Amino acid sequence: MGMNQNRRVVCAGLVLAPLLAIASPVLAAGGTDSEREERWQDLRQSIFGERPVEDGAGLITLEAPARALDAALVPLTIRIAPEHRDRIAAVHLVIDDNPSPYAAKASFGPAGDPAVLRLRVRIDGYTNVHAVAETKDGQLHGTVAFVKASGGCSAPIGVSDEVAMQGMGEMKLRPAGPDTQGEATLLIRHPNFSGMQMNQLTRTYTPARYLDLVRISQGGQTVLELAGDISLSSDPAIGFAYRPGEADAFTVLATDSDGASWQESFPIPAHTQ
Amino acid sequence: MTAATLLRCWAVVLLAGLPVIAATLPAMAAVAEPPGLWTGPMVGETPATLQGATVIDVPALELLLEGQVLLIDVGKAARRPDNLPEDTLWKPVHRSIPGAVWFPGGGGGDLSPEQAQALLGRIDELAKGDKDTVLVTFCKPSCWGSWNLGKRLVEAGYRKVHWLPAGIDGWQEFHDAVPVQPQPGWPPADD
Repeated sequence: MGMNQNRRVVCAGLVLAPLLAIASPVLAAGGTDSEREERWQDLRQSIFGERPVEDGAGLITLEAPARALDAALVPLTIRIAPEHRDRIAAVHLVIDDNPSPYAAKASFGPAGDPAVLRLRVRIDGYTNVHAVAETKDGQLHGTVAFVKASGGCSAPIGVSDEVAMQGMGEMKLRPAGPDTQGEATLLIRHPNFSGMQMNQLTRTYTPARYLDLVRISQGGQTVLELAGDISLSSDPAIGFAYRPGEADAFTVLATDSDGASWQESFPIPAHTQ
Repeated sequence: MTAATLLRCWAVVLLAGLPVIAATLPAMAAVAEPPGLWTGPMVGETPATLQGATVIDVPALELLLEGQVLLIDVGKAARRPDNLPEDTLWKPVHRSIPGAVWFPGGGGGDLSPEQAQALLGRIDELAKGDKDTVLVTFCKPSCWGSWNLGKRLVEAGYRKVHWLPAGIDGWQEFHDAVPVQPQPGWPPADD
């Protein structure tokens, strides 16, 4: 959003102001970056309290499509620069304009590597997305991307609830690829109902039911613990990095908001680094 | 030539002609206007027209905004899922075109008489009773709500009703949108 656009919005507001006295508080706030920043500060306060979020340039990056092909399935990649990886304890993901903005928190255990985290999320409207790295001593470093996507939280899944729940909890684990040693993708079958999806024919809402915790460990050591929310897409795909360990298998434990839980083990892809 | 062959020939002619017909009469290929308010699923393909109103795109809206316009947003409000844990951070925000008035869900085709009265009454108030007020209705793309409201306004006697099917997403292609609050007194409480 450049100056130009902001100015045009302000101009439109000035034209409208005389007619729409009722809307003047909105106009006073302005449709600008400053208003989005205000919302972010409000969310930051709710999530992190008094702790400031410093500019994370050089430490954390967030890759997001400028325009999402599917608002219910927006791929995000968060990376931590190599020299900072050892001091990162967690990564928080905040989708500012989603009704439930705090989309995920990923905590890294001793067997984890914060180098990369890939998630697929629902985005409800054109919004800033914040990725915030938390250091082991509690400092916060953030970065932001603007994503054009709309209606992701309420988008119907496209099949009946029964079909969407078939095979719920089934998992697969794939190595990320030959060029990405030490990375893998965990796929979990789960509709991750947002609670905002309406069946258009019955006009009833499918109750929220989502993965609230996914813990990946190897040999008793945590790799990654992901606290999720309704903003994660159905059939979550979690891309993560890990450190070579002595164990030869990952154990994955997933629980959902209805109290169901699933556990599976997978051989660890060969790690030659 | 047998009757069957004749039929087949006709079918070929008809099929060959279809693209031409579709190209010359685009409205025929689209969803037809319902005779009254639409009460089916609220998200889906909408008609290309709204009798009695003008269908506009964003550049046309920009021109309108050089004068006085009453922008009316009937996008739905985010609904908190009943079973969402209490400690979940829930902070819905509704963004709209700057200056717009928002009647969440006001585009329903099956509003109660009280709701319809409250809606039209408030719009009449905002328009200061002037049926020549320039009105623009919108919600999201593929949303029947703004079509319905346009229909209601035409039926209520407004002479300058405009419908923006591109909705808030279309607007945001060019401009930012601002958070808005629902209009006071809307929706009216159920008795």
